[in-house]
Amino acid sequence: MEFPGVLANDDISLDIKKGEVFALVGENGAGKSTLMNILYGINEPTDGEVLIGGKKVEAFSPKTAIGLGVGMVHQHFMLVPSFTVAQNIVMSMEPKKYGFLFDNRAAERKTQELVNTYGLQVDPSAVVREISVGLQQRVEILKTLYRGAKILILDEPTAVLTPQETDELFDVIRRVVRERGMTVIIITHKLYEVMAISDRVGVMRKGRLVGVKNTCDTDEKDLASMMVGRPVLYDDLEKTGTAGENRIAVEHLTVTDNRGLIAVNDLSLAVHAGEILGIAAIEGNGQSELLEAITGMRKPERGTVRIMGQDVTGKSPDQIRAVGLAHIPEDRISTGISAPASVTDNLMVGKHDDKEFNLFGFHQRRSTIERYAREIYEKFDIRGAGLDSDVGSMSGGNMQKVVVAREFSFDTPVLIISQPTRGVDVGAIEFIHKAIIEKRNSGAAILLCSADLDEVFRLSDRIITMYEGKVTGSFAADAITKEEIGYYMTGDRSEKEARA
Amino acid sequence: MKEKTPVLVRYRYLFSLLVSVLLAFGIGAIILAASGFAPLQAYGAMLRGAFDSARHVGDLLEYAMVLCICGLACVLGARVGIFNVGGEGQLLLGAIFACQIGIWLDGMSPWLVIPLAALGAMAVGAAYAFIPGVLKVKVKVNEVITTIMLNTIAAFLCQYLAKGPWKNANKNLVAATSQLNADYWFGKLIPRSNLTTAVFAAAVIAFLVWYVMQKTSKGFEMKIVGQNPRFAFFSGIKTDRLVLICMLISGAMCGLVGMFRVYGVEHLYKSSVSNDYYFEAIMVAMIASYQPVAVILLSLFFAILKIGAQGMELIGIPSQIYLILQTVIIFFMAAESGIMASIDAAAQRRRAKAAAQQRQKEAQA
Repeated sequence: MEFPGVLANDDISLDIKKGEVFALVGENGAGKSTLMNILYGINEPTDGEVLIGGKKVEAFSPKTAIGLGVGMVHQHFMLVPSFTVAQNIVMSMEPKKYGFLFDNRAAERKTQELVNTYGLQVDPSAVVREISVGLQQRVEILKTLYRGAKILILDEPTAVLTPQETDELFDVIRRVVRERGMTVIIITHKLYEVMAISDRVGVMRKGRLVGVKNTCDTDEKDLASMMVGRPVLYDDLEKTGTAGENRIAVEHLTVTDNRGLIAVNDLSLAVHAGEILGIAAIEGNGQSELLEAITGMRKPERGTVRIMGQDVTGKSPDQIRAVGLAHIPEDRISTGISAPASVTDNLMVGKHDDKEFNLFGFHQRRSTIERYAREIYEKFDIRGAGLDSDVGSMSGGNMQKVVVAREFSFDTPVLIISQPTRGVDVGAIEFIHKAIIEKRNSGAAILLCSADLDEVFRLSDRIITMYEGKVTGSFAADAITKEEIGYYMTGDRSEKEARA
Repeated sequence: MKEKTPVLVRYRYLFSLLVSVLLAFGIGAIILAASGFAPLQAYGAMLRGAFDSARHVGDLLEYAMVLCICGLACVLGARVGIFNVGGEGQLLLGAIFACQIGIWLDGMSPWLVIPLAALGAMAVGAAYAFIPGVLKVKVKVNEVITTIMLNTIAAFLCQYLAKGPWKNANKNLVAATSQLNADYWFGKLIPRSNLTTAVFAAAVIAFLVWYVMQKTSKGFEMKIVGQNPRFAFFSGIKTDRLVLICMLISGAMCGLVGMFRVYGVEHLYKSSVSNDYYFEAIMVAMIASYQPVAVILLSLFFAILKIGAQGMELIGIPSQIYLILQTVIIFFMAAESGIMASIDAAAQRRRAKAAAQQRQKEAQA
């Protein structure tokens, strides 16, 4: 299979056995999704053939794939939020009354049967919008089972789940494999999950399948090296120095989201020089709005934000940056770069008014600018088609490196970092993590937010959990486990215990 | 190698522009033939009409100047992501106010009157552009709608002024102001043509616009704001202020063109100071894909078509054929990007397939 200009899958031969859990790992752009899309009939191979259950696939379309018993749960769920669980599950194969009317009762009955058969607990009459992400994923799985899937493809299924929900999902996978003889293919980039759930694992790199191993014969380090194509050093992040004075002080901050609903509710936090404060929260619990309010991208309703001792509440980003803040935004494409501009231009934004780059204060010195950009480009090991190519054509990892390189080169005493490695490959993650720790060791105050709990644990000195706009817990990073954090991410633990 | 990429892109743009123009002339020829005219003869008449006399050359340069400054005004807005469709209204208001300033100050030195009229026209144009600009920046009102509406208001306001309070004494001239004192008229560069000394001022303005956009740090900021305003705001660029300033300058340029029309050509205000010239300039800016140098060159090209069309009229061909040609060129330019992209994609697919087969062969061997 090729996308225009790129060989996404190159001469891949792979057998997946009935009744096994097969993990497919690889960096972003390695071709995992393309391979699975071919299996599910969304993409058509340029060359070669696909056999499902011994039958050669002739016409590639999701309809054929579903007919052959293939079901796929995408990373972004394909559910209608305003429909009930049952309505979503039976969609496209609805039970009918009198041959043309939708039979809701039959839909719910059939859903309940599925729930009982597979032991995937979910209320058929609940509206999808109102159930948790973990349950929505169950609905997606039930949907494929309803259509008679025997092979289940899960694309990055744990990206949006809490540790508890992940455990539950893995229980479900084990059950359908053991009791129903299903085959499960799981695409992931979290290697410990591969070790936890899979029987065999295939590693992809640059469109090729570079190895297939029995999970019991390999380990995370081995897999990481296969993915990147060179040994990956994981454990040399050394933290030095102690926390200094208060640099970010947020007090009683209340922020609303785009719909005008309260997203951050009377929240207070403090970050000191030489420390990383990590925010652990499931997406949509106010952490995005919190960071936007601190950096000036969103006006808070109430409360104060102090950076370097100065009140910057409600100021604009240019005023807040002037106080000494740099910001890696959660969505690099919409906020962190200008896609049609060159790498050089993207690295220059924010520094473009500096004296050294302008003759008489207005005429751009292009040669000085290019020299500076080259220096940064090499220092941050950005790899792409060169400084003149547009950033929009780069891979996610290199795009993120451009953002990190620019924001870190401001040398500010305060850094706000959101999703530093989302959709970034293993090699770049390693690099970005090291750069963040270096900033910390040199005395910067860093507020970090990430959907990847491992990342929060790996980098933070202290961790706070957020749930529905409030801080539900605050811990020293080495004094708490991921599992414990998970409880705080889903609500106030003391409240839950009181209820129980 | 470092500098190659942008240059190559530019050549490709010029090439596809040329192809579009040739295709447009081809279609134009078919239309001409279908209407019973000999295409070659018609195009010959067009060239003769544009170049047969110094006067026509002067007229076409004057028209190119109007298109160029208005086109650059449009580019200036587009660069920061605000589409000024209101240049026509800004031009008309600039023209009538500049004219009235000359009438009020009649008798004073031209060295005083002409700069004051120019400043007045620019101030009026900028003020009229401020309305949609501030609405866009502060309350996110779509500037395309507001500027189109304001065009109509300006046209009727000018008509009212020219028919009412500022009407001339001559009963036969219905909707026009009094004529300017001949001391204030711009000097003719080519006798009996419309080309006046205003063209030098226009050249300076065109150079300044190009320089600021392409060479300065402000121009760099403008580009980033236009490409991704959220990123620009995030990076600490004062986006709202920059958008508003560009809109004001855009309006001022249009107002000044109005002043040039009155002091150079018409010598009084009447509605013919502009026949939707700004809308033609928008098309020029669009075809030029908002590149300043391309705007200048295309302004000349469209001026040749327009003045040449009068030559075609002499042999009985309706001058509207020029509008058809213009539209067809725009059509092909628009289609071009899509066609080129699919050709590129097909070539890349072929290369990828060849590479795959090559590897397969190597594997078998």
